Amino acid sequence: MAADNLVAARGAQARPDWPALARRAWRRRFTGQSMLLAFLVVVSAPIVLPYFWMVVIAFTARTGGVASDVLWTACAVIAPAVLIYSIVHMSVPAPRLRLAAGLVLLAIAGALLAALIGERLHLDNFRFLTRANFVEEIRSKATSGAQFPSVWNAFFNSLLLAVSQTVIILTVSSLAGYYISRFAFRGRSVFLQGMLVLHAFPAMTLIIPIFLMLHWIGLLDTIVGVMLVLAAIELPFYVFVMKGFFDGVPWDIEMSAMTDGATRRQAFRLVVLPQVRFGLIAVAVFAFIRAWEEYIFVRTFLIENKNWVMSLYLFWVSDDVMGVDYGIVAAVAVFYVLPSFLLYVFCQKYLTQMTIGGIKG
Amino acid sequence: MARIELKNLRKEWGGAIAVAGIDLAIEDGAFVAVLGPSGCGKSTTLMMLAGIYRPTSGDITFDGARVNDVEARGRNVGIVFQSYALYPNMTVLENVMFPLRFKTIERTEAERRSREVATLVRIDGLLDRRPGQLSGGQQQRVALARALVKRPHLLLLDEPLSNLDAGLRLTMRTEIRRIQRELGVTTILVTHDQVEATTMADRVVVMNSGRVEQQGTAEDLYERPATLFVASFVGSPPINLFDGHAAGGMLSVNEARLPLADPVQGAVVLGLRPESLRVNGSGDSGRTISRISAVEPMGREVLYTADSAFGVIRFLEAGAEPRHRESDDVPLGFPPASALLFDKDSGRRLDARVAA
Amino acid sequence: MPVFARAQLRRQRINFALFLGPALVLLFLFFVAPIVIDLFLAFTDMGRTLAVGKFTLENFERMFTRDTRLLGALGVTFIFVLATLGIFNVTFALLLALVTTAVPPRLGAFFRAVWLLPRMSPSVVYALLWLWVADPNERGLLNQIVMHVFDMPPIDLRNNHPLLVIILANGFIGASLGMLIFTSAIRSIPEHLFHAARVDGAGSLAIVRYITLPALRWPISYMTIHQTLSLLVSFEYILLITGGGPFYDTTVFSLYAYRRAFESGEYAYGAALSLILVVIGVLAALALWRLMDMKQLLQQPRIEVH
Ligand SMILES: Nc1ncnc2c1ncn2[C@@H]1O[C@H](COP(=O)(O)OP(=O)(O)OP(=O)(O)O)[C@@H](O)[C@H]1O
Ligand SMILES: [Mg+2]
Repeated sequence: MAADNLVAARGAQARPDWPALARRAWRRRFTGQSMLLAFLVVVSAPIVLPYFWMVVIAFTARTGGVASDVLWTACAVIAPAVLIYSIVHMSVPAPRLRLAAGLVLLAIAGALLAALIGERLHLDNFRFLTRANFVEEIRSKATSGAQFPSVWNAFFNSLLLAVSQTVIILTVSSLAGYYISRFAFRGRSVFLQGMLVLHAFPAMTLIIPIFLMLHWIGLLDTIVGVMLVLAAIELPFYVFVMKGFFDGVPWDIEMSAMTDGATRRQAFRLVVLPQVRFGLIAVAVFAFIRAWEEYIFVRTFLIENKNWVMSLYLFWVSDDVMGVDYGIVAAVAVFYVLPSFLLYVFCQKYLTQMTIGGIKG
Repeated sequence: MARIELKNLRKEWGGAIAVAGIDLAIEDGAFVAVLGPSGCGKSTTLMMLAGIYRPTSGDITFDGARVNDVEARGRNVGIVFQSYALYPNMTVLENVMFPLRFKTIERTEAERRSREVATLVRIDGLLDRRPGQLSGGQQQRVALARALVKRPHLLLLDEPLSNLDAGLRLTMRTEIRRIQRELGVTTILVTHDQVEATTMADRVVVMNSGRVEQQGTAEDLYERPATLFVASFVGSPPINLFDGHAAGGMLSVNEARLPLADPVQGAVVLGLRPESLRVNGSGDSGRTISRISAVEPMGREVLYTADSAFGVIRFLEAGAEPRHRESDDVPLGFPPASALLFDKDSGRRLDARVAA
Repeated sequence: MPVFARAQLRRQRINFALFLGPALVLLFLFFVAPIVIDLFLAFTDMGRTLAVGKFTLENFERMFTRDTRLLGALGVTFIFVLATLGIFNVTFALLLALVTTAVPPRLGAFFRAVWLLPRMSPSVVYALLWLWVADPNERGLLNQIVMHVFDMPPIDLRNNHPLLVIILANGFIGASLGMLIFTSAIRSIPEHLFHAARVDGAGSLAIVRYITLPALRWPISYMTIHQTLSLLVSFEYILLITGGGPFYDTTVFSLYAYRRAFESGEYAYGAALSLILVVIGVLAALALWRLMDMKQLLQQPRIEVH
C-alpha cells in the first residue's frame, strides 16, 4: 500500500534543527537583499551622476572651465548621508523616528554643503533668460553663428507645440478609442488590426516623404505643420492606450445611462469620460513630455530661428558655445528639462497605469 | 509530524488587523478545522504557519521550537491553496514532482514517489496533462498530491472543497479524511462550511474578526457555545435569539416570562435552537400558543416560522409531511435544558439555566 | 424603411464621422499618403531642387551595385541593433524588472523611476549628458574617474569607441521600456504561485526559473521584435551624440538614409533606402500583431444601437 510506504519513510526522517534553519533564513534574506540593492545602486549610478553633474555645472561653472571638485565634494557629502539614512530606515521601524533622523541628516548635509561649496554657487549662467545676445558676448561677434532669438521665444514655441499637440491627441484618440472600444460597425476588426500594425510601424522611416508633403502643402517651417505630424504619427499608440482604458469601464454604467434616456454621445460625454479621467491625464502628460522633447522632426521641419523650439535652441547654444562655456549650456539644459521633469515626478502615478494592452499572457 | 502551537499570534497589514492574537495548540497527528466567516483571518493564519507571511508579533512553534524566522522552504509544510496554485506551464507529474526538485533525491526515486502519491489521490491517469486541461476536482487532487509528496510535518488545506459541486465535495471529504488517517499527518483545514468542519475534523476552532471564539468538538460548539457568535454561526437553520431582561428570578422576553433556575440580573439574550423547539412536548418550558406564518418542507424535515410570545420564531419538525398548516395555532415549548442564555454586553454564555 | 431604422442609420453615419473621422483624416494624411509618396519617390531622381525630372530605377541599381558605403552602414546597423537589444533592451530590462520586483515595493519603484529618467528627459539634453560624460579632455565625467581613481591617461570614447558610445546611450534608454512591460507582466502572475513555490522549497533563483520566466515568454518575444524594429529605425541619439561619425563609423542604415536626403540632398535615393525600412517595418509589425491577444482586443461591443 502506497500510504504505508509514506508512513514508513517518515519514521526515518530526522527532526529538523529549527534554530539553525532560522539563522540560515535570516542570513540568506540579508545577503540577498543587500546584493540586490548594491546591484541597483551600482547600475543606477551612471544615470544619476550625469544629471547631477549637469546641475553642478549649471550652478558653478564659469566661462572657460568646470568645477569638478564641487561635484566630488557634493558627492562625498550626499552619498554618506543617503547611506546612513538607508541604514536608519532599515533598522528603525517607527515612522516618526525615521522622519526625525531624515530631517537631522538633511540639516547636517545641507550645512556641510553650504559650508564647503556654498560660495561656489552662482546664477550667472542663467543670464540667458534676460539677455538675448549672450552668445555674442561669449564669442566675439565675428565668429558667432546665427543670430539667436530670445529664449522665451523658443520656450513659448515649445509650449504652443506641446500643448496643441496634446490637445489634438487627447481629443482624437479618446474619440477614436471610444468608438473602436464600444461601437459595433462594419470593418471594425479590419480597422483594429490595421491600427495594430500602424502602432508598431516606425513613422521615422517616413520622414522624407512627410518633409516633401509639408513642403508641397506649404506647412514646412511652421509650428502647425510639426504639430500635425507629431500628433498623427503617435496617434495609433494613443488610440490603443485609450481603447484599453475604455475597455475597462463597466458596460453597466453606460447601459443604465441609456435606459435613463441618454444618447450614446451623451453617455460618452457625461458618464464614460469621467470614468477614464486618470487615463486622460496619463495620455496628456505623456503626449506633452513627448512633444516637449521632440528633436528630429523639428530639426528637419523647422528652419528659421523665429520658429525654434527649446530643443533646437539648446542644440544651437551647445553647438555655438560648448567648447567655451559649459555653464551656460548646462543652465539652458536645466531650464529646458525642468518642465518635463516636474510633470514626470508629479504625474508618475498616472503614467504607470498606461499599458499597451493585449499582450498574450 | 509535529505538534503545532500558536502563542498570541498577531498579523497587521499597515494598521489593519487581520489576526488579533491567537492562542492554539494542535496535537501531533490531529485533524483540526478552522471555521469562520469570510475575512476573519483564516487564510492569513495559514500563511503565517506556512512561512509566507511574517507574524507582526507572537510565536509559532513546531515541536516546541520557535519557527517564526524559518523560511517557507525550510518548514516542510504542505499546503493546498484556496485557488490550488498549480504551475500552469508544467504537467501534472511535473507539478507533483516540483517539491522534490529541491531535495537531494534522485530523479527516478522522485518520480516513483510522485507516482505513488498520485495513485493515493487517484490522479494516476492524468499525469501528462496540464492544469488547464483538468476539472476543478482533479486540480484539487493534484494540489493535494503536490502537498503530500514531500512528506510534510504539517498539512494545510485552505478551503480546498469550495470550488466543487456537492457530490464531488462529499467524495473528497471522505477521501481527504482517509488519506489523513493513513498518513497520520497533522492537518489544519480552513473552511467556512460548518458541516465540512464538523464531519472531517476531530476538533473545530471557530474564528471571528481575527480571534479564536471557541475550540472544541462539534458537540461542544453546538451544545455549549461559548459566545453568541458561535451560537449563531454553528447550527443550521440558525438559532433563534431574543433580547430579554432578567430580574428577580424571572426572564422577560417581549410578552413572555420564564422562571430562571439560577440568579441572573440585567440584559440577557435567550437562544433557542429550531430543532429543540417542540409542539406539545411534555415537561417543556415557556409553552406559548404560537401562530404559524410559514411552512417550508425541507426534505426529511419541515421548517416552520411562527409568531410566538417571544417574537418571530423558527422551529423544525422531523418527517417529510407538514403536520401543521399556515395560521394554525400550536402550543410551542422547549426542554428547559436546551435554552441557552447569554450576557448581552459581553456576548458570553451564562451558566444559568431556565427552570422547568 | 421604417422611420426608426432610418434614423438609426443616419445616427450611425454621424457617429462614425464624429468619433473616427478625425483619426482617419490624420492617419491618412501622415501614414498612408507618405507611404505612397515614398513608393513613388523611390523611383524618381528628385534632388536638391525638389523637382521630379524622370522616373528611373537608378536608385535601386545604385543601392545594390554601386553604393559601397551602404555595406558599411549595414554592418554598423547589425552590430548596433544586436548589441543594444541583446545586452540592454531585453536582457538588462529583464534583470531590472526581476530585481526591482524583488526588493521592497517603494524602493523598486524608485529605481524604476530613475531608469525612466533618460526616457523622460528631452533627447537633446540626454545627448548633452553623454557629451559631458565622454568628453575627451580631463573635464569629461568619465575621464575624471579614469584619471583620478584609476590613474590612467584620459580616454576619448567618442573617437576611439564610437559604436560603444551609441550602444550604451541607446541601451540606457532602451532598457526602461522592457523593464516596465516585464514588471507589469511579473505583477500579473498570480501571487499564490510564488507562495506555492516557496512552500515547495524553491529558492529565489528557482522561482525565477520555474515560475517567472515561463510567464514572461510572450512579453519577451513581443519586446524583442518591438525593440528590434525601433532600434532599426531610430537614429536620434546617434545623430545628436556622434552625428554618425567619426566619418561614417556610427552611421546606421536609417541615419544613412536621413543623411543622404537631408545632408546630400539626394531625396529620391533617401526615399529608396527608406522604402526598405518601410518594408521591414511592415513585416515586423505584422509579426508583432500575431503576438497580441486578438480575442481580447476584438471583443464585440455589447450595446448595439448607435
Ligand atoms: N495581503 C494583504 N494585504 C492587506 N490586507 C490583507 C491581505 N491579506 C488579507 N488581508 C486582510 O486581512 C483580513 C483577513 O483576510 P483572510 O484572507 O485571512 O480572510 P479569510 O478568513 O481567509 O477569508 P475568506 O474566507 O474569504 O478566504 C481581511 O480583512 C483581508 O482584507
Ligand atoms: Mg481565505
